[in-house]
Amino acid sequence: MNRYRFKGPQRGSRCFPACGCGSEESLVTVDKKNVKMGEFKVHRVRFFDYMPRAITAMAFNSRYERLALARAGGAVEIFNFADNYFQEKVIPGQDSRAVEALCWVDQRLFSAGLNGEITEYDLENLRPRYSVAAYGGPIWTISSNNQGTMLAVGCEDGTLKMFEILEDRIQFQRNLDRQKGRIISLSWHPSGKLIAAGMMDMIRVFDTETGHATHRMLVERGVGTCKSKEVVVWSVAFLSDHNIISGDSAGKVQIWDGFTGTLVKTHLVTKWDVLSLSVSQDQSSLIAGTSEGTVIQFQFISPTVDQQEKEWVRTRTFKNHTHDVRALAHTETAVVSGGMDTQLVVRPLLDKVDKNTQESALRKIAFPHRSLVCCAKKAGLLLFQFPEHLELWKLGESDGHGKPGDSLPVKRKPEKLIHLKRKGVDHICCSALSPCGGWMAYSTVSSVRLYRLQYDNNNISITKVSKLPKDLCSAHQLCFSSDSSKLFASSIHSSVVVVALNQLECKHLHTLKPKSGSRQPVHLLFASEDGKWLATANTGCEIHVYNLDKLKLHCTVPVYSSCPTAIAIHPVTGNLVTVHADQQIFEFSLAQKEYTEWSRRLQKRGLHSLWLERDTPVTHIAFNPRNPAHIILHDMFMFCIIDQSLPLPEAKTVLHNQMMLRSLPEPERIRHSHAFKICKNFQHLLCVSLLEDHSLVVVERPLMDIMSQLPPPVRQKKFAT
Amino acid sequence: MAKKQRGKTTSPSKTAHNKKQAEDFSLVVESSDDEAPEEVTFEDSRAEALRSMKQALDTARREKELLKEKRRRRQELFQEQKKRKLLPADVLEEIDSPSPKKQKQSEDEAHEEQQDDEEEGEGEEEQGRTKKKRSGKLAHSRNLKGNYTVATVKERGLASFQQQAAQDFIQSRLYGPGSGRTTSNELLSLQNKKGRNKRAAVQFVKKDWACKEKAKAEKLKKRWIHKQQVPSC
Repeated sequence: MNRYRFKGPQRGSRCFPACGCGSEESLVTVDKKNVKMGEFKVHRVRFFDYMPRAITAMAFNSRYERLALARAGGAVEIFNFADNYFQEKVIPGQDSRAVEALCWVDQRLFSAGLNGEITEYDLENLRPRYSVAAYGGPIWTISSNNQGTMLAVGCEDGTLKMFEILEDRIQFQRNLDRQKGRIISLSWHPSGKLIAAGMMDMIRVFDTETGHATHRMLVERGVGTCKSKEVVVWSVAFLSDHNIISGDSAGKVQIWDGFTGTLVKTHLVTKWDVLSLSVSQDQSSLIAGTSEGTVIQFQFISPTVDQQEKEWVRTRTFKNHTHDVRALAHTETAVVSGGMDTQLVVRPLLDKVDKNTQESALRKIAFPHRSLVCCAKKAGLLLFQFPEHLELWKLGESDGHGKPGDSLPVKRKPEKLIHLKRKGVDHICCSALSPCGGWMAYSTVSSVRLYRLQYDNNNISITKVSKLPKDLCSAHQLCFSSDSSKLFASSIHSSVVVVALNQLECKHLHTLKPKSGSRQPVHLLFASEDGKWLATANTGCEIHVYNLDKLKLHCTVPVYSSCPTAIAIHPVTGNLVTVHADQQIFEFSLAQKEYTEWSRRLQKRGLHSLWLERDTPVTHIAFNPRNPAHIILHDMFMFCIIDQSLPLPEAKTVLHNQMMLRSLPEPERIRHSHAFKICKNFQHLLCVSLLEDHSLVVVERPLMDIMSQLPPPVRQKKFAT
Repeated sequence: MAKKQRGKTTSPSKTAHNKKQAEDFSLVVESSDDEAPEEVTFEDSRAEALRSMKQALDTARREKELLKEKRRRRQELFQEQKKRKLLPADVLEEIDSPSPKKQKQSEDEAHEEQQDDEEEGEGEEEQGRTKKKRSGKLAHSRNLKGNYTVATVKERGLASFQQQAAQDFIQSRLYGPGSGRTTSNELLSLQNKKGRNKRAAVQFVKKDWACKEKAKAEKLKKRWIHKQQVPSC
């Protein structure tokens, strides 16, 4: 279970509500932070049944420091390891695309799946560029040679197919000798002349020039009842010294001599399967992932000090997962693992990084770094985005009053108004709900759908808007204007399509394009309350603000090296607030086209170290209509109200001081307060938003609820349980 | 000749075999008698040849007829099956009528929009029936009364069966028999028991877990209490 990293009070037992919340209920609590912040009625929502998908494959591109990850359902995610492990891009999945393996070739990303196709992805438009059928049945593995000229895939029918990598496509070259069993894994020798393939019960070595299989190494089956089951060689690695490492379903990691085809050493690491292997760039370290959830490291070192001979010695064991580890990547400084428990874990190796620093901390990424919840502020509605459907809920009501920390009786329960299944095979990539609740839209890689919602008394009707402008064909991000008269959709490269909405039809108004001609997709959109500005941010770290009255570019914010994770325009001051992946906060004045004085003060003082060490990004910014000095931000574990009228905390001030302030008498409080008021009562926050009636909506997804729905883990007998 | 002396209870095949053997034997016997071969007239042999030809033609024709019969029967069977597969007329009519799908019935009912993802194109729309005809993708569509299109289920090619088989393979290797798996309940309970603050198994800690077991326990408790009370009264 995730533990929040700070040394301060974790989930202070005093503030944590005593009432347990059922997943269908919405309990409303009143929580008073301190005199300055005010009281809020909080809608605590736990009925968003968000279920992340298992990780099936991973590939790390060391040159560009990007990790590509594939999940069950076909979604592919790109993480930028150089920018605080921010989830930069998400390519939505598709019904039949079951990705089993990923492969980087320079900046191009290829995947192979059980649908028998090799897919190349367009990382600028976040969609598959094309798919090539391999005609060998389901494909289990894909790998490219070091030179980046050939792609080899291992298929169900026993063939190893070679594809030539051309500039804009791949072309089938030839099949190597067909084998009797399926090819589950493969690995190129660094020279590109040999390939080791893991199959059922054996490992074969192929000569890529002649296409013939040279060696055949028989892998021993498990003991006892497992003797009758074939052993599956789930993963192989071909080292430059011609040693072949294999991990199989009998729980062994074996080292073979590639020249003679003989077994050198066997390490029995687990009772269950060894599902994945990864070798470091310099081939001195190897990691193996098992069904138990452990990742075992082997290092090529000399076992005793005076001995010159080196061999593979088992060194560390990491237990960071509760379920099978199906994908691994060995970066220069860390071990990256993912599997059936859906969390991505990055474990820096302590001999490669400085201890006790931000760099050496264990990171667990359990939730997406983007918002899946849309809140209609005026109507009190919530839109939940799932990969294959959308749910529209109406929040419950309560008119009780109480002390802070109380839970109020619910007068009207929350109800699900609409359950909308998506059309076609593509998964939903983004969705939006207008603030008045009258319009709903979603987009897949192939189409955009817009719906009109009408309420009369207790009935709701939904009608699809059939004729959409042809410029609105697919969007990476959708956003409605605050008066629900316009829809903004981020389109190819960094352009934004503006569409006018009215009762009868929707018309294409304009396409906004930045001057920089960036080809990166826009992942954040924010329309100001007064309808004058539209702020956009793309994955190239560019932030552009457009003037909607004139429909042209107003200004471009100076580029900051870290990617923005949330942007918003203050309704009163008209300042643009941005939060970045490295946790920096900036405030930019749109009228003066420069950073505000407060922002400069913040930069000069520097953010508190505890703030900078947080490991989840801020995904949403909101404002308090009652108090223009407030900025409400949240990440996975906390939500924070920044009061710009209060002094900024110093480096040695206690950052989480709410509980302390509550115990002080009134005049003392003012002396000790600082601008960052953090509340950690609610955890695994997916969204924190303010409604028009000044109540706070907090959408939580407890990790326990996700864990209880995961597939079965292995049964481990623990002493004294 | 010894074989011929077996009783009549021998099987026909054996008798035939015996007869043949006998014939062979007799032929051999005859030829060994140095007799002249039988005289077969030209007429006889011609008749014989014609007869055998006619017989061959007859058998060929009969076989062809048999095959034709078989084919016809099979075709009929398919027609019948096809008729059975098509939706009955009343269901088709129901699809036709524009039912208010998106009306909220009552407060607590969630409504599902049936998006028929078997149809390739714009099948059922809330704004009335579509007049659009999609070419190319709908391979098996026909127009009834020209007002709407009915499409059969998209052909799931060989690829999806193989994909399903491959997924089943992974499923059986990881979760099949002999994989030694347990439930999430047990995993979480173990974590509770080994945690810093030791707690009971998850089904006792969380209210909405293991509802069935709790209901059963309740029933047993009531029965036991009842049993205890019965002897007293």
